[in-house]
Amino acid sequence: MPKLIIDDIPVEVAPGTSVLEAARSVGITIPHFCYHPALAIAAACRLCAVKLLDGPVKGIQMSCALPAQDGMVVSTTDPEALKMRSLVIEWLMLNHPHDCPVCDEGGECLLQDFTIAGGHSRRRYQGKKRTFQNQYLGEGIHHEMNRCIECYRCVRFYQDYAGGTDFGVMGSAGRVYFGRFQEGALESPFSGNLVDICPTGVFTDKTGRFRARYWDYQFAPSICQHCSVGCNTSPQNFERETIKIVGRRNDQVNGWFICDRARFDKTYLNDPQRPREPRLDGATCGYDVAVDAAAKSIREFVRQHGADKLAFVGSTRLSLEGMILLAQLADAAGGARICYFGDAGQQQGSMAAAKLLNEENTAYVKDIEQAQWVSLHALDLMEEGPMLALAVRKAFLAGAQIFLVAAEALPARDVLPFKYTSVETLNQVPFEGGGKGVIICGAGSKDPDLLAEMASSGAKLVMLQPGPNGFAAALLAQEHGAAPLKELVAARQVRGVVCFEADVPEVLLADVEVLANADWRREAVTDTSPIFLPTTTWVESDGTAINFEGRAQRFQRTRIAGLPLKGLDPKYYGSATEAVSLHPPRVHRKEVPGGAERDAWRVMAQLIERLGGEPIEPLSGKWSSLKSLDPEGEGVRIFEIGLGE
Amino acid sequence: MIPETLKISLEARVASAITAREAAVDVMKELQAHYGWLTDEAVEEAATLLGLSPLQVEELATFYEMIYRRPVGKKVIHVCDSISCWCADCDKIIQYLKDKLGVGLGGTTADGMFTLIPCCCMGMCGDSPAMSVGGTPYGRLTTELVDEILEAERHKA
Repeated sequence: MPKLIIDDIPVEVAPGTSVLEAARSVGITIPHFCYHPALAIAAACRLCAVKLLDGPVKGIQMSCALPAQDGMVVSTTDPEALKMRSLVIEWLMLNHPHDCPVCDEGGECLLQDFTIAGGHSRRRYQGKKRTFQNQYLGEGIHHEMNRCIECYRCVRFYQDYAGGTDFGVMGSAGRVYFGRFQEGALESPFSGNLVDICPTGVFTDKTGRFRARYWDYQFAPSICQHCSVGCNTSPQNFERETIKIVGRRNDQVNGWFICDRARFDKTYLNDPQRPREPRLDGATCGYDVAVDAAAKSIREFVRQHGADKLAFVGSTRLSLEGMILLAQLADAAGGARICYFGDAGQQQGSMAAAKLLNEENTAYVKDIEQAQWVSLHALDLMEEGPMLALAVRKAFLAGAQIFLVAAEALPARDVLPFKYTSVETLNQVPFEGGGKGVIICGAGSKDPDLLAEMASSGAKLVMLQPGPNGFAAALLAQEHGAAPLKELVAARQVRGVVCFEADVPEVLLADVEVLANADWRREAVTDTSPIFLPTTTWVESDGTAINFEGRAQRFQRTRIAGLPLKGLDPKYYGSATEAVSLHPPRVHRKEVPGGAERDAWRVMAQLIERLGGEPIEPLSGKWSSLKSLDPEGEGVRIFEIGLGE
Repeated sequence: MIPETLKISLEARVASAITAREAAVDVMKELQAHYGWLTDEAVEEAATLLGLSPLQVEELATFYEMIYRRPVGKKVIHVCDSISCWCADCDKIIQYLKDKLGVGLGGTTADGMFTLIPCCCMGMCGDSPAMSVGGTPYGRLTTELVDEILEAERHKA
């Protein structure tokens, strides 16, 4: 373990750690652009210069490319190093257009920070600046090449890390250009990370351009709810609108990056058409009126038909809290049935996976990255867990063999960022030393026997769940004996349903009576239900989600619920009777327009009370250890706290 | 479209390389010789031959100064403006070439004979100032010598 001294602070770091990282470990940030912890070292920007006063190497050195060694005495504040850094930043800034006021990166720009930190505050260069033609790079990303400082982060991420081939660096010397061969949308499903990784405003998020500055945003740690990988994100909100979503580091899940679905798929959150008003028999009403009506309707139904003819239907979209309370609610209604899944195959596969996985056999992302072979079993990885494709790519680059089993069943549209061998059955995958292999499959609709066969192979397992919180749904379905809705309806065991964020197929609606529906989006069931209770989405609520590997992660409310101020219906602007001028509200009101939504689990808790049950804290009993989960931490695998099967 | 014979010989060249990328420069040069410059079509053909994306070929094509991504004259003059030639007053030679040919740097003469491009050292520092015309290197240039060279190159095949 090399021991060195940085600015009079003794530091001991693991072998191979760079001086820059060693300094960072004791809280000293050395200015840098090309260095990024997730990428290979380029030493291209020359900004991280430090002076070595004593030890095996002496003089000015680039700290990002210099491994820490015993006996080094490093100064980050030596006048010579300071001078070097201020000249480097001045030189990097020569061609920069100084257009911060009209640049979307302004306020969250590494170039701004390190220009100031580097001591360059006055422009001396009076010559012409080099300029470029920008390219159209699709609807996600705006290109502004003049701002570039040639750190090569974008191309190292796009080609080396993410395996894209349609974006790169062209030219040489002062003509270096980062772009595509011809204009057109970027092909990589990870292209949005260019926004996060560019230290300045060459790549900005087109979907949220010119809306707000960094200091305007409201944000909180969140968990992406698009698939069961559970990537950590930070939705940036302004005036009740989710403007941008950026990746948040979690080395156990997504590393530094997120896929484009996580980043750009957000219009549904801001949609003014989202059903936001509680409704009773087609007319809007107060929330408590709707909850009272729902309780009354449930009691009535149970009295007429018996509780076992009633099902409380959730889905994998519910938070863990919602899933727990759904079962309590069914109890409070006198022992009604519970459904977390619509489809029998989905439930069977999901439950089998949750049952088979344990601390020993469940792969960490690190296990995928370090595997000797990876077998993808009839899996549309870019649909079911895109970020894992980058982990598989790391293994591939390190020499792992990748197999795609029964690939013919998959759509050919997605290009995987690694080479693979197609085989017909799992038996054709040569398991050599199964311990260093990883099998990745989707659990939904898989035969439990097949999943068990995979589990018995000795390889580490990744079983992706159908839906973001599928693992939790499987655990609760197991605990409470939940049945798939389709089965219950087909067997005529259920005649009435109460839905919570449930995706009930339209065909089932003919055979059941919908008593009430709580959701944040419009489903077929929304129009059938006499009572509608609007709920909050994951950006507007607190909750817990359990990802495919059983990792429980807390997400926090990132903004209050309500209609975005932008495009707000004029009826909210002033009086309903007088002429409306398009000016923000002059009439003060206590309620946020369209802000009646409540978290699904809170609605359930209210219903439980109305039905005569005790108010319940969702994360109590065996779940209580999850109460103290840190939203900014790495989450915790439920096996570690004894919650798995 | 490249002729089938050229295609077959290039495929053989790529097949004999340990990695396809290593044959990229050869392939680009051959295609350039065929088209006169490396056209967009040629970039895409090179990409197909090498199993790379057009962008990846473009990255290489735009890096090397002897791969021309724009139309050039029959013979390209690379005149060195790097430090050794600069010490030997290449500025005078460059100005003379510009005046004589009636073009700026990067320009092609009206008769389509010459394209004038600056280059950054061709390893002839001992014979500076230096230039190459249509691939033939010339050193110790004077204005008189430039006249002679251009005249000779104009009539040489």
